[in-house]
Amino acid sequence: MEGYDSIWDMYKKKGISRRSFIKTCTAMTALLGLAPAMLPEVVKAAEKRLPVVIWLHGHECTGCSEAFLRSGAPLTSDVVLNMIALEYDDTLGAASGEPFENHLQEIMKTYKGQYILAVEGAAPPDPKGGFCMVGGRSFVEEVKEAAAGAAAIIAYGSCAAWGGIQAARPNPTQAVSLNEIIDNKHIVNVPGCPPIPEVMTGVIAHYAMFGNLPPLDNRNCPKQFFGNRIHDTCYRRPFFDAGMFANDFNDAGARAGWCLYKLGCRGPETYASCGNMRWWNGLSYPIQSGHGCIGCTSKNFWDNDPFYTRLPEVAGLGLGNIDKIGAVATGALAVGITAHLATSAVQKRRRDQKELEDEKKAAEEAERMSRGKD
Amino acid sequence: MTVKESQFIEISMDSGKEMHLTRYYIFSPFLRIFHWLMVVSIIVLFASGIVIMTPMSMGEGQYVVLNNWHLSVDWIRNLHFVAGFVLTASFLFRIYGYIINKGDRLLPNIFRMKFWDDLVEVMMHYCLLKYSHKQFLRNPMARMSYVAIYGLIVVEMLTGFAMYFQVNPNGVGSFLFGWLVIPYGEMFLHVVHHIVAWCIFLFAAIHVYMVVRADFMEREGEISSMISGTKVLAHLPDDINDIRDKRGRIIKG
Repeated sequence: MEGYDSIWDMYKKKGISRRSFIKTCTAMTALLGLAPAMLPEVVKAAEKRLPVVIWLHGHECTGCSEAFLRSGAPLTSDVVLNMIALEYDDTLGAASGEPFENHLQEIMKTYKGQYILAVEGAAPPDPKGGFCMVGGRSFVEEVKEAAAGAAAIIAYGSCAAWGGIQAARPNPTQAVSLNEIIDNKHIVNVPGCPPIPEVMTGVIAHYAMFGNLPPLDNRNCPKQFFGNRIHDTCYRRPFFDAGMFANDFNDAGARAGWCLYKLGCRGPETYASCGNMRWWNGLSYPIQSGHGCIGCTSKNFWDNDPFYTRLPEVAGLGLGNIDKIGAVATGALAVGITAHLATSAVQKRRRDQKELEDEKKAAEEAERMSRGKD
Repeated sequence: MTVKESQFIEISMDSGKEMHLTRYYIFSPFLRIFHWLMVVSIIVLFASGIVIMTPMSMGEGQYVVLNNWHLSVDWIRNLHFVAGFVLTASFLFRIYGYIINKGDRLLPNIFRMKFWDDLVEVMMHYCLLKYSHKQFLRNPMARMSYVAIYGLIVVEMLTGFAMYFQVNPNGVGSFLFGWLVIPYGEMFLHVVHHIVAWCIFLFAAIHVYMVVRADFMEREGEISSMISGTKVLAHLPDDINDIRDKRGRIIKG
């Protein structure tokens, strides 16, 4: 396949008119959710060189790549073939083995300081542990090497962003998130298990278009995709506000599509675009399909189990339902207070009696003394 | 010590004994108003918080009744937020009182050995191992526990506002409190908020018991002191120096 320097370059080489190119740019502007006034910027971006992308896979299930492949707007094929120059991705790459690994080294050398590093998966930090070996080397070494020359780093999925299921209790490989092994580099977190496909392509398309990373919040997640609680964007929110809940997955409330809060929905603590963008081109999302959110974009969400109760059991303490424990503690306290009160009352009565007796004795003594004098 | 004639009270005890009691002014209006606002808001916050955790779920058709009572989750959540803001405002009010009034500053003197000795004595009393303890304006155990309750309330405020303001993660509120969400995630804040709420509830139960008990056992006007601001004591309290001004006089309200 012929290589292209930019999208405009591809149009020229394929003999497509400038008019078609501008039309495509207009469509892209709309797909990226930008104002029509941004069209000149998009055209300028499309005339620029395609950004080189290296995509590494660590400790993970490759579900994020699976999601990425299903992006509808922009289409994954558009992103991979036209918007970025994806030079290394061991899942999507046609090549394999030593030549492919050599190609990675070559790309890292040639585009040092210019390429985008996309990482899926957590990293076991001990290279001698033997966990997660890629091409005979430990993943942690590979990702550190690639990160050193990267212009930008995108952590795709909850594993790369927070550690994910690998870092959940008991974490046998001591897996950590990307930002714990890479310092001095800004990492964009795109959490989710997996993230919404359009969010994944959207972030990289933003970089491809504008040459910079999207605005980030205090957890380094792109604001435009992680700026809202699912609970606040959920179409079932009115049922929550009105107090209409499914108490069981089999009851009438669940069938009627009422709020899943009491079945452990993590929507009130989860930040993602599921409520407004939804999945598969707006087809549906977990809550719409009748299952509560499990909070897959949240840090340590695997440890906030069980997923089907409102509050998780506190890790390690095995506390269970806090309200039940509180009620039991209140009962125990009531018994304790009653016992303490009774004992105090008895003690006070004895003290008063003793005081009275002492006084009586003193009086008698005084009387005897006075009699003795007589 | 200068105490006005009118502040002496003579009363007869059951045993026919006469005692000289002195009225000490301790709690400024700041503390008392805070206290009762806190009582109301904590009752509202705890009750509404429990309902928010396990909302009343109405079966088919019955939610209309629920809304007629204005007991929808939305309404209860708003009630919780209003009570939270009232508690915070009254807490700030109390901090102002803490700054201007010495009687509102009865904190533990943790750097003095005497404080710890007195604490042991008071604890022995409450463990029923000692008949009585020295008289205090505010005893060491009470001092410790009020610092603890303020700590718990501050935890509730911080976690509460962190969760409340996260509705807009780009806003000023989440700029001020959003950092709490980062280390362990937002779910953790819910858990902490909930556990600490129960701690405050249990504290309040113990507090009410101890105050009522002290009023009956020691007859120092413990309950009324939070209304009138004064305590009636038979002896010069051990910690009287905490309400003396620079010239050594006992501060009067």
